[in-house]
Amino acid sequence: MRRFLVAFLLVVVLTVAFSQKQTMVVYAYGSEMITLDPSTEFSNSIIVLNNVYETLTRYVDGKLEPLLATEWSANEDGTVWTFKLRKNVKFHDGTELTSEAVKFSIERTIRLAGGPAYIWDSVKEIETPDPYTVVFKLKYPANIPLIASAGYGAFIFSPKVAQIGDDEAIANWFNAGNDAGTGPYTITKYDPKTQVVLRKFDGYWQGWTEGKFDIAVIQIVPDPSLRMQMVTSGKIHVTRELIYDDLKKLENNPDVHIAQKPSFQVLYLFFNTKKFPLSNPDFRAAVAYAIPYKEIIDHVLLGYGLQPSGIIPRGMFGYADHLPPLSQDLEKARQLLAKSNVDPKNVKLVLTYLQSNESEKKASELIWSSLKKLGIEVELRPMNWEQQWAWARSDPSKAQDMFIMYWWPTVMTPYDFLFSMFHTEEEVLFNLSYYYNEEVDKLMDEAVQVEGTNPKRAEQLYKMVETILRRDLPAVPLYQISDIYVVHKSVKGFTPNPAYPNVVFFYELESGS
Amino acid sequence: MNFLRYTVSRLFWSIFVILGVVFVVFLVSNVIPSDPAALWVGPKATHSAIQAAREKLKLDRPILVRFGHFLKDLLRFDLGTSIRTHRPVIEDIRKALTATFELLLVAECIAIGLGIPLGVLAAVKRNRWFDNLSRIFAVAGVSLPSFWYGMILQLLFFKWLGVLPLSDRIDTFVSLIYPFEEKTGFYLIDTLLARNYVAFFDVIKHLILPAITLAAYPVGLITRQVRSMMVEVLQENYIRTAFAYAIPERKIYFGYALKNAIAPAMVTVALSFAYTLVGAFLVELIFNWPGLGRYAANAILSMDYPAVVGVTIVASVCYVFINFVVDLIQAKIDPRIRF
Repeated sequence: MRRFLVAFLLVVVLTVAFSQKQTMVVYAYGSEMITLDPSTEFSNSIIVLNNVYETLTRYVDGKLEPLLATEWSANEDGTVWTFKLRKNVKFHDGTELTSEAVKFSIERTIRLAGGPAYIWDSVKEIETPDPYTVVFKLKYPANIPLIASAGYGAFIFSPKVAQIGDDEAIANWFNAGNDAGTGPYTITKYDPKTQVVLRKFDGYWQGWTEGKFDIAVIQIVPDPSLRMQMVTSGKIHVTRELIYDDLKKLENNPDVHIAQKPSFQVLYLFFNTKKFPLSNPDFRAAVAYAIPYKEIIDHVLLGYGLQPSGIIPRGMFGYADHLPPLSQDLEKARQLLAKSNVDPKNVKLVLTYLQSNESEKKASELIWSSLKKLGIEVELRPMNWEQQWAWARSDPSKAQDMFIMYWWPTVMTPYDFLFSMFHTEEEVLFNLSYYYNEEVDKLMDEAVQVEGTNPKRAEQLYKMVETILRRDLPAVPLYQISDIYVVHKSVKGFTPNPAYPNVVFFYELESGS
Repeated sequence: MNFLRYTVSRLFWSIFVILGVVFVVFLVSNVIPSDPAALWVGPKATHSAIQAAREKLKLDRPILVRFGHFLKDLLRFDLGTSIRTHRPVIEDIRKALTATFELLLVAECIAIGLGIPLGVLAAVKRNRWFDNLSRIFAVAGVSLPSFWYGMILQLLFFKWLGVLPLSDRIDTFVSLIYPFEEKTGFYLIDTLLARNYVAFFDVIKHLILPAITLAAYPVGLITRQVRSMMVEVLQENYIRTAFAYAIPERKIYFGYALKNAIAPAMVTVALSFAYTLVGAFLVELIFNWPGLGRYAANAILSMDYPAVVGVTIVASVCYVFINFVVDLIQAKIDPRIRF
């Protein structure tokens, strides 16, 4: 009898233990978290925030999908946008999602004016005619549904946080590891330097099915070699930013699979159009045709990237598919050089790049060696970012001749690229070619205004800008890197979404075994 | 001069050294070409945001005024705010320091526990195979780079044997299922206080490899030091006398001889603490140990100057403090040091 009782108890204990067994997925990430305020965070922590908060829309493979909003429409000129909200959505604190919450969230983001707040620049006022309708009234036409999908600064949070105190008190509350989102996960442990633990939110509006993970952990592991060892052994399940040589080795490893998509991050080479000799359009073209684009992708990225044909990255609306990508043509380069009447013996070009970035260094070296073939001397200067940027923003006639820089968008629009790097600026910020062309300004300004209401027209206008930029060559794209994740075989369902850099949407993952 | 006055004078000079370090580090970190205001606001910033940050960080003031502010804050143990993480530097360092100290203390225990007996035995078995073998180990420990055998240990014990964890202070799953409150920051103590033995043993398992890796250098150092001291002492007349009295060997070696040999070795032990603190920088990176080394490396790479200054000050205070203690020990045990 006693033996039976013991056995019975054992069975009960084991059943309880197994039924409470929690599934966990771990994502190893290389950098520390910064802040957790959904209004101002403009850095690494969006990998947490995008799992905890949600936006009105989500950008997936070039299209907008409904998320907290189910449908949206605009008036004729795109200055008034009306969003219908999803019903029965609860914040983690139990409050229901209403138009007031949307108004409260976006207004706080605009008011704090931190990091990504500028994306809402067009918004004049937000109205809430009923609990499930939000109306954005704009100062000028803008594509609000796209802006609302941004991975930074577009999160909707519970208006209940207002009870905590003023904006700073709320920010402190967020940064202490609290959240007020509608997302599938909620923060349970926050140690910005080592680990963030997320637990599933039972009341999540999309519900939970078997196989989805109860616990999602973001583990901070700065060393890429260690991250590789951890993912091959299954100690962690997803990671990224491994060394390219290591990725090649992992391609044949049966324990992991490599998920990749073109990212929206592009490396550009800017030419100083306000300083001799690159102020000479023929000389600029000669340099552009001397660059070994294919070799750069093969040697620097080991093939994990592509060359976009224009400034706008491939995969984004407005992509310049009407232009062939630039390619190295030394014969043409020599002809252009002769036509420019610039004697290469008399010039020395200074090229600055980010010293801590191995890829920029290698790319610069390849540019150096191929320009040597034309007899053009290049001096490579590795610098830290603040330093090289400050130099570029000083007097253009004394600044560096060439500048290498990555750009990635905050809002998934070509305008983010074109405006930042090629629009006329009163004071130099990111137009580091110092390229001022009224026609280009006008075309892109019109494009962004009709983007939401007349996308066909916008696309046409963006392509016209690309054509002019190809003719004038103020800058050239060197490569568009691939967004690469290494995923352990025990996890299924992962697809990268490069519109949300570094973000792993844990809700999409399922346990594979 | 008596011992107290000697102590006070050493203390005075130690503080002077720290002040010097603070000034130099502050100066250097302020003249390196970088723009902290641009760093503060992040990569895609507007002019007005950078200007606002410059005013907020008081970067528009003259450097001496800023140094004055810095010293004033320092007296209140305030090391400023990190440019990168926007968190108080002192808080980050406090957490990182306990992680490093836990690793350091365990490594030192291993170093002393292994180094002293090894040194004694090597001296006793002088020029025999045991001595030669221990010499090989000691020299290897001192001269081989720690990151190399750290990785070898990982390969052996994690990948091939699968008995010890690869990295981190505690297993993620264990810490979630058996959580404990971080009262002291020393996981060994915290888990014991919480009577959380599962977590305690997991913490031990995670400590083994990094601690052994970190201990290799001081083990070599202490072994060689103890051996050479012992060799000297064993040739003394009173040891021969002790042998003549047929006192048990173990008592002679560990009781009589070691007592006299250990005093100079104590200095090496204390100094090895300081060396090991530096060694921890690399070991922490390999084992993903969230300590001071990892923090410093991150701070340097991202030009986070308040964090760099903070780490340097804390590390130099530790160094100076250890040296101060060593001076005192030496003065106490070595009568040749004049006050």
